[in-house]
Amino acid sequence: MVVAGSVALIVAATLFSALALHRNPPSNLERIDPKTLHLTGEFTEGNLGTAVEDGHVVVRIVMTQFVFVPSCVIVPENQPVTLRLSTPDVIHGILVTGTNVNTMVVPGYVSQVHTVFRTTGDLLMPCHEFCGLGHSQMLARVQVVPTEQFHPDAQGRASCAAQ
Amino acid sequence: MSDDAATRDTALRMRTWLVVGTLLLVGALLAFIIIPLVQGRAAGIDGFTAICRAFGILPGSPAHPTPVSRATPQPVTQVAWTVATLAAIEGADPKHGAEVAQERCVVCHLPDGSSAGPTIPRMAGQSWFAIYKQLHDFRSGSRTNEIMSAQVTGLDDRSIADVAVYYGHLERGSSDLQNPSFVPSEVENLVVNGDVARGLPPCIACHGAGVGGPIEVPTLTDQHQDYLQAQLEAFANGQRHNDIYHRMRGVASRLTPREIQLLAIYYAGIGR
Amino acid sequence: MPRNKQLVLAHLWFSFLIFAAAATLGAWQMWVRSPLHAPFSNPQTYFISVTAHGTSMAYVMSTFFIMGFGYYVAETALGRAVPGLILAWGAFVVGVAGTVMALATVLAGRATVLYTFYPPLTGDATYYIGLVLVVAASWVWCVLMIVAMLQWKRANPGQPVPLVHFGTVANACMWLWTTAGVAAELLFQVIPASLGWTDTVDAGLARTLFSWTLHAIVYFWLFPAYIAFYTLSPQAAGGRLYSDTMGRLSFALLLIYSVPVGIHHLFMDPEQSTGFKYLVSFLTALVTIPTLLTIFTISASFEIAGRLRGGTGRLGWLRAIPWDRPMVLATGLSFIMLWFGGGGGLVNMSYGMNALIHNTSWVTAHFHLIFGGTTVIMYFAIAYEIWPRLTGRVVGSVVWQRRQLWLWFIGMMVTTLPWHWLGLNGQWRRVAHFDYSDPVLAWWGPWVVVSVLGGLMLLTSAYMFVWNLASLHIPAVTGSAPGPQRYATSLYPTPHVPAVLNGFRTWNLVLLVLMLLAYGWPIAQFLVTPSPGAVAHRMFGTG
Repeated sequence: MVVAGSVALIVAATLFSALALHRNPPSNLERIDPKTLHLTGEFTEGNLGTAVEDGHVVVRIVMTQFVFVPSCVIVPENQPVTLRLSTPDVIHGILVTGTNVNTMVVPGYVSQVHTVFRTTGDLLMPCHEFCGLGHSQMLARVQVVPTEQFHPDAQGRASCAAQ
Repeated sequence: MSDDAATRDTALRMRTWLVVGTLLLVGALLAFIIIPLVQGRAAGIDGFTAICRAFGILPGSPAHPTPVSRATPQPVTQVAWTVATLAAIEGADPKHGAEVAQERCVVCHLPDGSSAGPTIPRMAGQSWFAIYKQLHDFRSGSRTNEIMSAQVTGLDDRSIADVAVYYGHLERGSSDLQNPSFVPSEVENLVVNGDVARGLPPCIACHGAGVGGPIEVPTLTDQHQDYLQAQLEAFANGQRHNDIYHRMRGVASRLTPREIQLLAIYYAGIGR
Repeated sequence: MPRNKQLVLAHLWFSFLIFAAAATLGAWQMWVRSPLHAPFSNPQTYFISVTAHGTSMAYVMSTFFIMGFGYYVAETALGRAVPGLILAWGAFVVGVAGTVMALATVLAGRATVLYTFYPPLTGDATYYIGLVLVVAASWVWCVLMIVAMLQWKRANPGQPVPLVHFGTVANACMWLWTTAGVAAELLFQVIPASLGWTDTVDAGLARTLFSWTLHAIVYFWLFPAYIAFYTLSPQAAGGRLYSDTMGRLSFALLLIYSVPVGIHHLFMDPEQSTGFKYLVSFLTALVTIPTLLTIFTISASFEIAGRLRGGTGRLGWLRAIPWDRPMVLATGLSFIMLWFGGGGGLVNMSYGMNALIHNTSWVTAHFHLIFGGTTVIMYFAIAYEIWPRLTGRVVGSVVWQRRQLWLWFIGMMVTTLPWHWLGLNGQWRRVAHFDYSDPVLAWWGPWVVVSVLGGLMLLTSAYMFVWNLASLHIPAVTGSAPGPQRYATSLYPTPHVPAVLNGFRTWNLVLLVLMLLAYGWPIAQFLVTPSPGAVAHRMFGTG
């Protein structure tokens, strides 16, 4: 009885979050050639990190054996943020501690996660899928700052405060 | 089996299909029609697009518009490891490479692939993907060096591949290297274990044999200490920036100057 | 004693010896990841160990156990020799050869790709070919189980197939369906890339094909435990099986619901769409039904046993159950772990909650608890139950069997409960070294050490298990020769079982429809629009 009730509750909760809160698991199905990722415009090195485009906060990150580029990103609190990640080599993945941000990053695809960061602080963003012998050391950070401290420059870019 | 039992069996079978079918129908309606329509409407995405996205026929989320990028490419190298490039290198001609080397390379890199001085890297037995990329980068200006940039002018892709496999096939001897008398354990630890506190992967995670790292990774063993140190320092201060996606700049900038020096000594010494 | 006892013993001993070796690696791995300094701990050795441990436990130990137990069931339940005994032995040899090939390649450092081997990371082809041989051997087993059932049905028209063999054939059907995914991935994608015939791999397709196998394989492992619940536990408790029909229905439902839901392993992947993920989440909720049916039915069967032995009251009958019998004890402990592990499974299947724990230690803890715990403790109990009939000797006292089971249970809880908690707090997977000096992670250290202690308990229990079985090969101290294998009898005899619960034609058709709906487009999309290929990263050779 208890278990059947829990299952029914979960099915209902998933339906509710889909219909009322418009939440989905990260899917996106946007294909991109990993072999020429570094030659594209969107994922060129100079375009990575946080940018405000048309009023929307977009964070672009490349994961590669065995670093994140950039290794630290800054995001504002309580605003919708879109993360776009890709990789030129093997399968990686991220989570951001304390948040619902979690996605695989598969070569051949752009992974996209939509979220709102609800608490400020320094969060860890590790690579959570085995990507080779340097996997254990592959970590990045997310700095969540209050809106008043989020100052994109004239081009709309923002980067982490100096440690 | 009696007719009665057979009828009961058929009825049971029908009921099974009915239950399964209904559940599938409900699930599919929700998954592919109802949810994307509701989500799309709230996000300003038209119904047809939302449903296509829910099916995966179109990219993007049914609940959010996809950001559009207007950035222009500023690549750090022109080399891309496409199937065509890989095939070209695998099928390159070392004999023609020997001729090109005779014309342009042997004065500094010597015919046996060793080198004429401590700041000139040894080429013998080096990864041909690594050699190809560096020559290509010198030619495109992604990497600059007074001498090398001049040497590769006018070389086409095919010739670069040929030279790369020529040198790559040479025996990696150890004729003229410095012979370090100590290998500090702190550095050996960096090579084998990396340093998770600084996000430093072990060197061996890329620069080892059969480790599945990036394609253009060079062999470091048996290389000149001065050359290795100069490259690490150049990566650390950004002077050299032809490494795809910051891999070496990220690593080198987190090493201390002493570690850079010791790593150079370490790698110059192994391979005996 | 069954005529095929050497065949059964060969499979089971191979399984358990591999198990003990892999358990040793597992305990060492827990030590390496902890703040305590462990010997030989560097990433190369660590990930070789992770690959060897996963390959051994997931593909070898389980498969050989299931094959051995299946041969035992086929003969003792159907009362006739297993058909094709020569083929069965041939399959065993092929399986052992495949295992040696695969593990030798891993230990040589030429296939450090982990047992999930996600391309474009690519190992030496001998690793994959070795695994293909193990799978091929198991396919021979599947065919022989099905043939045995068909032969029996022809000789006994209109009779219900004994439940224990019905369950075994359900598992065999499921395994044939399950392995198609990984076989396709290996044969068409990974092995060609490993041999250098192709330079790139469609990573999205590979993950999708593997997900097909990855979920259903856990039910393949779980099936013998459920078979034991229905056919050995009630008997051992001195009672009757509450409902034979429920058992058949559960097996059939497990068959149809476990294979199509593999996409829930891809909830966080970019290559599958929201629609299919929602559909699969919805369907996965249905796979709880056979488990719920089982829990109810077995609890009812135990209640019968308890009351038959004089137990009274709402829950008082629990005290009357003969918990001193290993099969009964194991069932009880397994149910406790099923409660925790199954609860964890409910979290995993809901993609909202899945986002919090995907690729964290929660996942690792979950499958160690549900597979290593719920399932493997029943493997131990099954072994203890059938060993006397395989060796012709009965052990005088089962005290050490009980102690081994208790130690396994306690060790599993001590290992996995803190592990779940750390995963929920963001500890990610497949890491050789954590930076315990980082304030964000520092508090994890002591809990990881607790898991290390649990791992030591598990290792001790594993060695005790092997010892207990080995001691049954030496002359008995006391006790008479064991009688023939008896399986639980149903409370209400069922002279006629509906055809749909006495065979698998309908269920296979239902499964076909479900697979087409759940995996049809998710796989076909790669043939219509392939992912841009990712270059193979070969983790062997001179680079």
